Amino acid sequence: MVMCRKGKKGYGIFLVLFFIFPVLLTGCWNNRDLTEMNFVAGMGLDRTEEGKVLMTVQVVEPAAIISEAKAQSAQPKPVIVKSYEGETIFEAIRGILFNFDKKLFFSTAQVLILGERLSQDDIEKILDFFQRDHEINYRMDILVAKDATPEEILEVESDQDPIEAMYIKGTVENTDARGTVKRTMLIDLIKDIGSSGKQLAIGQISKEGEKEVKTEGLAVFKDGKLAGWLGPYETRGYLLVINQIQSAIVNVTKDKDKVAMEIIKSKGRIDVAFRNSEPSKLIVKVEVQANVGEYEGRGKLESPGNLHNLEKILKEEIKKEIKMAMNKIQKEYSSDIFGFGEHMRKHQPQYWKKVKKDWNDTFSDLPVEIQVDARINRIGSVKDPVKKVE
Amino acid sequence: MEKARISSIQLFLLLTGFLFGNTLILAPAQGAKNDAWLAILLGGAGGALLMGVYAAIALLNPSKTLAEILKEKLGKVGGSFVTILDIWYFIHLASLVLRNFGEFIVTMTFLETPMAVVIGLFAVILVYLVNSGIEVMGRLSELLVPVIFLVVFIISLSLITVRDFTAFFPVLENGMKPVLNGAFALITFPFGESVVFLMVFPHLNKKERLKKVVPASAALVTFIILLVFFRDIFVLGSDLMVRSTFIPHLTSLLLPGFNVEPLIDITLMIGGGVKCSVCIYAAARTLCQIAGIGDYRKLTGAISTFCVVLSIWVYANVLEMFNFSENLWPYYSLPFQIVIPLLLLLLSFRKKSSQSNERAKSQKGKDAAKAY
Repeated sequence: MVMCRKGKKGYGIFLVLFFIFPVLLTGCWNNRDLTEMNFVAGMGLDRTEEGKVLMTVQVVEPAAIISEAKAQSAQPKPVIVKSYEGETIFEAIRGILFNFDKKLFFSTAQVLILGERLSQDDIEKILDFFQRDHEINYRMDILVAKDATPEEILEVESDQDPIEAMYIKGTVENTDARGTVKRTMLIDLIKDIGSSGKQLAIGQISKEGEKEVKTEGLAVFKDGKLAGWLGPYETRGYLLVINQIQSAIVNVTKDKDKVAMEIIKSKGRIDVAFRNSEPSKLIVKVEVQANVGEYEGRGKLESPGNLHNLEKILKEEIKKEIKMAMNKIQKEYSSDIFGFGEHMRKHQPQYWKKVKKDWNDTFSDLPVEIQVDARINRIGSVKDPVKKVE
Repeated sequence: MEKARISSIQLFLLLTGFLFGNTLILAPAQGAKNDAWLAILLGGAGGALLMGVYAAIALLNPSKTLAEILKEKLGKVGGSFVTILDIWYFIHLASLVLRNFGEFIVTMTFLETPMAVVIGLFAVILVYLVNSGIEVMGRLSELLVPVIFLVVFIISLSLITVRDFTAFFPVLENGMKPVLNGAFALITFPFGESVVFLMVFPHLNKKERLKKVVPASAALVTFIILLVFFRDIFVLGSDLMVRSTFIPHLTSLLLPGFNVEPLIDITLMIGGGVKCSVCIYAAARTLCQIAGIGDYRKLTGAISTFCVVLSIWVYANVLEMFNFSENLWPYYSLPFQIVIPLLLLLLSFRKKSSQSNERAKSQKGKDAAKAY
């Protein structure tokens, strides 16, 4: 001990510090126990008709979840949903405490649901709070509510999970098996907002009966404002292009038999071709690997030639799906949600500077070349479908 | 003169920890946006050269500290004057590092803790460390600085799933100017700040190892800064990276399913601690030598207290801090980091060459005598 070396005085200082430090170093200054917090599971954000912000939070009631296991009799609800209006998001978040007893803790929020009316406003501006606040989880899922307000969606009481937000998150997460909704995390959205050559696209959620929600489709934005929606198949075409498909089932028809192909691997790339230093063509390249998952009919699969045939049909089917998505996005919404502009900004910056001003218009007029490459890997446990000799 | 000795590996880690210090909080090459990697490479090379100058000064004046060299080369009055300026520079540097550190902790980790408490408690530990002597500081860095590398590698590797490897395109979108500015900023911060080590180099047990230690340390730090830059831009994208207050904090939030923020705090605490303690040590030692006080330990408490107060006074808010460190610090540092050391190097060379000429002559005479 250096301080002891100086004799009694040093020892005294040492003792004082020895007793002060344990008091100061026990933990955070603003220590909050678990019992003093309300955990937010989901958030909803909408505009009121007067242009104010309507914040909805779904708060977990831990006591109710524990008691549920013990007895099914009368018990409080596992989640509480409350809304509050404010000029700004932060004001609404604090104001919402008017009938909560404990402060809200936002890091546990799993989903943020944006209302339709808010989306028609400029969402690029309004998301600042979620970037700036230290409690917000950047990996929270974002969805846009269609035909329902965020409040209605968060109030759904599902039988599958006592906490509704977890249920919603689950339905979004399993898009890696079906590919019909885009999974957008807050960080992806923030990145897309920052890039000048890419428009926003967020997954879509809607109500399905009283007890369920449906996450399918895509909300397309143009300059931060909601431009329109895509259906599940168009969404899948879009996701194939932007390389976000992990697995999906694509149905094809072969000799009037229905065949379900399971995409197990997919790689999408985009490019822009130039002629006379003007962008002349948009190029989409998609490579998929698939398995034969189901063969409904009486056809034959056993020869390699048949399999190649099937590959060709799959190629055409995927091309069709991408074309459908491209068409709608180019002609109806004219919003570059694929990020062709971003691709140009990165790889051909000298051209990008010339066209970036009216890029969305240029984008909608450009022809598209879609190149699809499909390979079938496996056919499953049986070679041919059932064949009865008649 | 303190007889403390540190080994070359201890000096290497102390120097690396010092250079790592608060560099990642302020990200000095950030002005070059997605071309910052070029700025980092250029700045790293320039920084290594500059550190080579410091090493050369130390090698030409073996076992002499900065204050002694200044006194010898510039005379008593001029030497003392420059030494006092240097003391101020070391104290200022220490308090800026303290403030960076405090600002980071207060913005990100302990939001409701007053900054004075964070900085004050940190300074108490630093006083204890500095009073323990340079040997203990060397041994401590041997223990702690490798943790920094470990943490950086762990975080960088575990973020590999959430990356966009094309984020640093296009190259040179805004021309060379921001890159050169970024490189210059990086030379002065952190590499030029290692001028403080002129007070530590004399403690190295094997002097000739300095030739290896200094470039190796500069190379390693350049590599780490480069790695961290690529990690951050791949994860955050260039727009968010430029907009964020503290880049490593945002990056750490994106790790799926695991909170690594405390690890980032720890690396900054280690780096900032090493940097601050070296600065306080150097300031106290220099002040002792100029004032003729035997034991520098009598001054560390006072100097640290001064640093704490200065660190709280020096900026009104966090944006002022960024503005100062990006726009003013490089020019403010110029005389201390480049002008004075270059002057010392020139003077040392002249003395050395005249000395060696004399020695060569006498050697020749001896040889001649032997031959007979």
